[in-house]
Amino acid sequence: MRILIIEDEAPLLERVAIQLRQQGYAVDTAADGRNGLYLGQEYPLDAAVVDLGLPDLPGIEVIRRWRAAGRHFPVLILTARGRWQDKVEGLEAGADDYLVKPFYIEELLARLRALIRRTGGWTQAILNCGPIALDTGAQQVTLLGQPVDLTAYEYKLLEYLILHAGTVISKTELTEHLYQEDEDRDSNVLEVLVGRLRRKLDPDRTLNPIETLRGRGYRFRLERSTG
Amino acid sequence: MRSLRGRLLVAASVVLAAFLGLTGLTLDGAFRDSAMAAVQSRLQAQLYILLGAAELDAFNRLTLPQTLPEARFSMPDSGLYADVIDSQGNLIWRSPSLLGRALPFFPAVRNAGEIQFAPLTSSDDKPLFVMAFTVNWEISVNQYQIFTFRVAETQKEFLNQLWSFRKGLWGWLLAATGVLLAAQGLILRWSLKPLRRVATEVKDIETGQRAELGGGYPEELFPLTANLNALLGQSRAHLERYRNALADLAHSLKTPLAVLRGALDNDARPEELRQTLNEQLERMNRTVDYQLQRAAAAGRIALSAPLPVAPIARKIQDSLAKVYASRRLRLSSEVAPSTMFYGDEGDLLEILGNLADNACKWCQWQVILRAYPTDRDGRAELVVEVEDDGPGIPAEQAPLLLGRGQRADPTVAGHGIGLAVVRDLVEEVYYGRLDIGRGLLGGALVRARLRFQANGS
Repeated sequence: MRILIIEDEAPLLERVAIQLRQQGYAVDTAADGRNGLYLGQEYPLDAAVVDLGLPDLPGIEVIRRWRAAGRHFPVLILTARGRWQDKVEGLEAGADDYLVKPFYIEELLARLRALIRRTGGWTQAILNCGPIALDTGAQQVTLLGQPVDLTAYEYKLLEYLILHAGTVISKTELTEHLYQEDEDRDSNVLEVLVGRLRRKLDPDRTLNPIETLRGRGYRFRLERSTG
Repeated sequence: MRSLRGRLLVAASVVLAAFLGLTGLTLDGAFRDSAMAAVQSRLQAQLYILLGAAELDAFNRLTLPQTLPEARFSMPDSGLYADVIDSQGNLIWRSPSLLGRALPFFPAVRNAGEIQFAPLTSSDDKPLFVMAFTVNWEISVNQYQIFTFRVAETQKEFLNQLWSFRKGLWGWLLAATGVLLAAQGLILRWSLKPLRRVATEVKDIETGQRAELGGGYPEELFPLTANLNALLGQSRAHLERYRNALADLAHSLKTPLAVLRGALDNDARPEELRQTLNEQLERMNRTVDYQLQRAAAAGRIALSAPLPVAPIARKIQDSLAKVYASRRLRLSSEVAPSTMFYGDEGDLLEILGNLADNACKWCQWQVILRAYPTDRDGRAELVVEVEDDGPGIPAEQAPLLLGRGQRADPTVAGHGIGLAVVRDLVEEVYYGRLDIGRGLLGGALVRARLRFQANGS
């Protein structure tokens, strides 16, 4: 999952970025509105966290321009003032949720996860597809109720695939959403990762949860059992 | 021209002067014409007297008697003169009054029956009015001779008359102008007095000698002074609120600060210290939030246009629908398009937003926003209701949630500071009342009554 944070307060930006990276997100940061606007328009984001009180370009304006440019990733706004006028203005400009400063990082993470789930059409914190269940809160995957031991990258890959279950996802899209800008983006690594996931989720080779569509990408083909 | 008084005075004076000047000129002209007509008819009468007195002597010559009916013809230099000229221009007779001088040359009148009149000067440069009349005199049967009778009068009398009339006329006109201007000045002074009073009172307010404008202003100024008073009252209320919020904030931060200091002094274990720190930070954060939002309330704005409630309810509904999208709530609002709010949009958003947000947190799946105007004791009220189908709020908990009796430290868990902020807004800024009850959906029904005329007129 690729997240952009726009926040002019450097210590807060730093802290949130570190926490998000620890949670396995690929994080881009911007300390001002113009930079953030550019990143949001150029990068394939899964969500953005935008502070409303930016020095150059107001956060509301950044969101408005993204929406006008057809960028539809979910946006969580951070505001120091808890006035409903600000919240309503932000939500009307195209944001999807708000968080009033100061906030607990857990709260931010929960809201972000919920927003990202929503874009995939999921409303519950636990994504169920047949025998496979992925708990986005605990970052736990179970197969027929038994926990599956996954590495951080394997989990990230599976989460992205299940969130968009039923749709074809290209290798480029996967690498862009899973890796930071400065990380190695060898597509062979991706193939290896998918192979390992298949072995862990489908040891008997009967389920075939992830299908490969030659030249187009991957698709998580198990039916969603909950909404 | 920067003063109203100056403008009015100049404009009125110009109009007055023009009016009186034109009146004077018209009267002057009319009098001159009638005086001239009088001179003409007098001279004509004298002409007829002369004609009546003229006779032919034995040699068929025209003669006039030695003593004429008008004595002034006989007195030298009397101012009334006459002569008779024949058709060749020979002087046949002249009045004794013409002694030593002659009547000016007059364009000859040759047609019998014609009368001419002109202002001319005599041979010794005296201004005269001259009238000439040509007659065809029958000397014998079928023999006629043309004579021109001329009568002249000095212009002295006419000019005297005109001068004395003018003196009177312009004297009175000037006097009238003076009186009218003075009256006008007094009227202006009297009419503009309330404006000067406003200025003085505003100055007094600036220097702090006075809190608001007095009453008893004329009806044209009343809306201005009433609104000015409303604005003053509003800014006083704001100041008061900021001051209170600041004092409350300072006071309520003292407690957590004291607790923190105590924890430091007690050499507590790190986990305990951490726990205390966390609790007190949370408490301070709530306090700051609460006081900030209280202070931000704008209140009823003097001179503000009424605000339709429906779009604002719609905004809150849309916003909450977005925030709670994953819960698939059924949010609806029942607000007539004509329902108006007389105050700050931010305040109404705050009231509706907090109430509806709470309702969304507690409801199963249904929340209704409602607003309608009522009339209570002759005062317009706006009732804002938010209802949900959640567990509801037990009656004994309601006062606690509303934070009654515990002004500055709203630490009710679950409902956050939202309800306390709404209560303050409704009860302290809009002079209304916030009540918690049970609605038709089975859950809580929070009703806010907002009043609008408490700080207006």
